[in-house]
Formats: sequence, C-alpha cells, structure tokens
Amino acid sequence: MILYDYVLSASCYKVRLMAALVGERLDLQAVDFHPGREHKSASFRDLNPAGTLPVLVDGDLLLTESTAMLVYLATKAGGWMGSGAVNAAQVQGWLAFSARLGASLGMARLHDMLHYPVDIAAVRRAGVDCLRELESHLTEARFAGRIFLVGDGPTIADIACFPNVALAPDGGVALDDYPSIRLWMRAIRSLERFIEMPGIHRLHELKPAPEAV
Amino acid sequence: MIPQAVLDEWYPVGMAAQVGPPPGRETMLLGQPITLFRDSAGIRVTGPDGDLAVTVAYGHVWACLGTPAHALFPIPEATQEGRRLVDCGVVRVKCSPLRAVENFLDIAHFPFVHTDILGAEPHTEVARYEVQIREDSDEVWATKVHFYQPQAAKSAEGGIVTEYMYRVPAPTASVLYKTCPARAGEWDVIGIFVQPLTEELCDVWPWMALFDDETPMADLIQFQQMIFLQDRSILENQIPRLLPLDPGMEIPTQADLTSVAYRRWLKRKGLTYGAQMVAA
Amino acid sequence: MGTEWVAVGLSRDLPAGVAMPALWQGRELAVWRSASGKLSAWNDRCPHRGMRLSHGFVRGETLACIYHGWVYGTSGSCIHIPAHPDLVPPATIKAETFLCVEAGGVIWVGAAGATDTPPEFAGYVPLRSVATQADAAALAQASGLEQAAQGLLGSTAAGGVCLILSTSQTKTTIHALAAKEADRVALSRWLDGVVRRAEERVLA
Repeated sequence: MILYDYVLSASCYKVRLMAALVGERLDLQAVDFHPGREHKSASFRDLNPAGTLPVLVDGDLLLTESTAMLVYLATKAGGWMGSGAVNAAQVQGWLAFSARLGASLGMARLHDMLHYPVDIAAVRRAGVDCLRELESHLTEARFAGRIFLVGDGPTIADIACFPNVALAPDGGVALDDYPSIRLWMRAIRSLERFIEMPGIHRLHELKPAPEAV
Repeated sequence: MIPQAVLDEWYPVGMAAQVGPPPGRETMLLGQPITLFRDSAGIRVTGPDGDLAVTVAYGHVWACLGTPAHALFPIPEATQEGRRLVDCGVVRVKCSPLRAVENFLDIAHFPFVHTDILGAEPHTEVARYEVQIREDSDEVWATKVHFYQPQAAKSAEGGIVTEYMYRVPAPTASVLYKTCPARAGEWDVIGIFVQPLTEELCDVWPWMALFDDETPMADLIQFQQMIFLQDRSILENQIPRLLPLDPGMEIPTQADLTSVAYRRWLKRKGLTYGAQMVAA
Repeated sequence: MGTEWVAVGLSRDLPAGVAMPALWQGRELAVWRSASGKLSAWNDRCPHRGMRLSHGFVRGETLACIYHGWVYGTSGSCIHIPAHPDLVPPATIKAETFLCVEAGGVIWVGAAGATDTPPEFAGYVPLRSVATQADAAALAQASGLEQAAQGLLGSTAAGGVCLILSTSQTKTTIHALAAKEADRVALSRWLDGVVRRAEERVLA
C-alpha cells in the first residue's frame, strides 16, 4: 500500500495513524507540499486531479479522501467501524464532523504555520464552536462511563477527529478549556501502537523512568 | 526604539527561488512592513523608507534595515562540491526570534521532544563540551558536542553517537555541523535562518547543505520540517515569550553553556530585539 | 465561608497521573495528580527555560517538564536533571507552589496562608467545567439562578444546580455541580444553552 504523504498534514497523519493502529505497513512517498507545492504540479495531478493529499494506492484501488482510507484500512483489519445501526450512523456523523474540523482548526493551523491566507478570526471561531460540541458530547459519554466518540471502544470516528483537535494549538486555539477532550486525546494517545506526528509529543509517562545508564 | 546595532544586522526575509515580479511578497522585518520582488535590477526589498540593503546567499534573501555593519557571515560549505543544498521552506512561530535560535543550540531536549529520532531515554546525559565567543569572527561557537541519537538523519540507519559543532554568526541565525552518516570525516551542515517579524513572532527558514545523493529531496525537506515542528509547540509555550537576559530569570546548567554564551554575546553587542532585560 | 479559595477544576477531570492547566487569579497554573493521588498546583513554568509544566508528564510521585525532562517532586523541588544524571540538583531549583486542596469533588487553590477551608456544597456532585466569554451578570440572567457567595444556585427542569464561577480577565470558567438526584445529561445540555444565551447577550 502506497501513501502519498506530507509529514505535517493532519489528513495524512489520520491515515498513518490508522495504519499503525491496525498494523498495516505503508510505503510512504513524501510529496513536497511545502515549499515545493508538488501536490499542485501537473505530474501529481495526473495521479490525483484534485491536487490534494493524501493519496492511497493499493493495487488498482486509488483513494483520495482520508476518511475513505480510514474505512478501507479499518474494514480490512476488522473492527473500528462501530457495530449496529446506531453506532454505524454515529460514526458517519463524526466523519462529517471531521471535515468541519479540517475547515476550521485545520485552516487556522495552516494560516499560523505556513502563511495560508484565510480569515483567521472566522476559522478560529468556527473551530471553537466545533470544540464545544465535541466537549459536550464527550462529557456525556463520560457520564455513561465511556471515553471514545462512539460506543465502548475506539473507532475511525476518533481517528478522523483526533488530529485536527490535538493540533488546534498550532493554529492558536488552546485546549485548556476542554477537560473531556483532553482525557479523550489521552485515551487515544495511550492506544497500543499509537504513533505521533510533529505537534503531538510522546506520552513519556507510558514508560517507566529509565534506570541510569 | 530599536537599537541601531539591531538595525545594522542582516536578516533572512525569504527564499530566493520564491521571489517573483512585482507586486511581490509582503512581509515584515523588525516590525516594519517590507516587500520582496524581482525586477531587471535583480531581487529588491523595499521598506517604508525605500530600498533596503540586500544580499542573496544560502538560498535566501537577506536584508538590512540600517547600514550593514559588516558583510553577511560566510558558510564555506555552501560552495563545496558534492553537497546538496536544500531550501526547507518557512514555518511561522509565535515566539521571540532569539528563543528560536536558542532552542536550535540545545541538545538536552532531544530525548523528550525529538523522541526516538534525535534522542531517547535513557541516553540523556550531555557530556561537557567547549564553548567560546571567537573574537576574530565575532561568533559564538560550541565544539566537541556529543550525543547519542537513534536516527540522526534521514540517511542514518540505527543509533549512533553524533558529534556536533554549533555556531551563531548573526543574532537570528545559527549553523550546525554534525557527523555525516554517508561520508566519514565530513560534516553535514544545517542552518536556521530566523526572520524577526516582531519581538514575539518569527518566520523560521531552515536550510541544509548535505552529502546525500540517495534520499529524495522531498524526504530531506520533510525530515527537517518534522524536527522543527516538534520544537514549535515548545517554543510557543515558553513563558515569557521574550528571551530573558536577566540571569535570575532562568536557571542554566552545564549543558546550557552554548545558550549562556549566546545570551552573553547578545547582551554585549546590544542585540536585544526579542529579549527581556529585567524580570517582568 | 471560604472566600480565600478559588475553584480551578473538578476532581473528575484530573485522574491520577495527569497534569492540566488552570487559571488562578490571572496566574497560569499547572495542576497535577501523582500516581498515589496527591494533588499539587504550581506556577505553570519550569524554572529552567520557562516551559509550561502543564505540558509535562507524571511518573509516580513526580512531574517532569516536557522540554528537558527535569523532574520535580511533590514539594516542587527539582530532584533530577536528565542531562546531568549524577548531579544532585541544588535546592534553589524549585517550582513555585500554591495551596491546593479538594473538597466535594472540586479542586481549590488558596492564597498563601489561607486559614479557613474551602466551601462545601452538601448534596451536590461535580458535573463539568465550561469556559465562556460571558460574565457573571450575563450568566445569572441567562440561567435564572440566584446569586450565591461563590456563584449561582437554583433549580432547573433537569434538577438542582450550582455554578461556581471563577473569573479572569479573558474568560469566566463555570464549575458546575449537580444535585445528587439531577439528570446529568439534561443538566449538561441546559448549561450549554445557558452559555449560548449569555454569550448572545454579550455580542448583542
């Protein structure tokens, strides 16, 4: 499986993270998104006319939407999709929500980091609205003794939403006011085989303090 | 008031390859709006009072708002045969430009911030190294810096003890030399050129001159961007944002000798833009 | 009545082994709970290079800074510097500590030398903390609750509620407690509505 990848992209990270969690090996092909804008080049658009990252290629299959890639990786591995009508529908709801996160918090991050021209106040405001909805939902889940977005265990809904939320501070949106979101992120970061991306550091407490060398 | 010594220094303001025809690109330098563009005279940078002194070197455009006190510092390796020169683009950081440079000079954070790449517990010890302010070139130098690294470069396989040298040749630029995995006896060269937009906001332009004919360019760039973005969330969460030059404000140890020399050098030269002199 | 104390969070949001940021009288704090459950509140700044300690990591009875891994014991004293593993850190390296206690599931920080105890809200359990741009007056109006010493008190269709308000220059943080028999989900949604209405007034 080949992933056309940019190391700082939250959407690419969703796919890298999902693959790591289900133990799927990816052949990463770095695309010079910045400063080269290689994803907008004619040769890259021969592969993906939309000129967006990530792109996942597995034999004849070519996917250009990160949520589709999550569905593919999860379905192949089993689990992660939410079981039953209610959970499956809720997973779809959060996948759509993750697009709002990308358009708000994700754009704020691209503005603050890589100079993307956007109405920064507007995207931050929209991002805060998203965080509040998420916080309220996760608070209710915790009342019921749950920590993930849908059902009792992690699903692709969590993986789709996690990156842009965890990276919100990169775009000038602090997470200080969202205790349930912080505990949810902690639960995801504690999953076996979790991998980081720049901006999301290692939970060093998961390992004991080292013995002196 | 910005000290004259600050105005008379060179600062990076953009990648030379990205400068286009008028209207060009608007940016900022030391709080002043400036514009970069290319015309028949070459690359020009204009500010509120007209054209700025300009030098193009190491893939980047350098400008001076005052009267340049000296030529831009040399990086002899930039013209050494066999090296690949890599422009890594820009990353904006909400911190003092001086804090961005100081972080670049620091190795003790590798195991905690660049975990399993530039460092890993339990290999956290920073052995004694040598630091001097070289009077002839007026630069801060740290030499004989050694550190265990799980993956020192994109081309490195497995852990090695890497040797480093660091230099600060300009208030907001630093160049490091590190063990070259591909060619024994040579150094890979990595620079960070920091553009002070304001005292608490900067654009960081990493640049590299490497012996590595194998790794695709996009991988080289992304490796450097990955490392720098791991630092960014630290830099945006240091309090205060300005670099404290008051010795009572922060507590250095022997591992911080480079930073101690850098702060002393800044203070001595009056390069205090982005610094805080007294505890607030 | 404990007027020297300010609520900075709820116990349920700070499990053992976790650090979190908090605001106390305009000061930024790192509040953390050790593996054994001991609670501490410190200035959110590592004395070494100023990094926020609330980004740090808890191992056992210590909090370590994420930047260089400097390890601090519950007294606030630095006990280990990874760059110099054989060095005994000098006693001068110490995080600034604050009085911090829990009462009724609420985490309180007190001024140095506070002699009384934090207020107790018998019959209530912690619900959630929410931050808003709206001030106390707007929240009182939007909620229809009565003013009380530490905030707002009263009953709703979902049951009894107590809103402890901690105000700073930039925001109001509401630490909501629910009457024991109240419907927590309904009350949580009611609180979202109160915040929306109070903020609508601020914007209008």
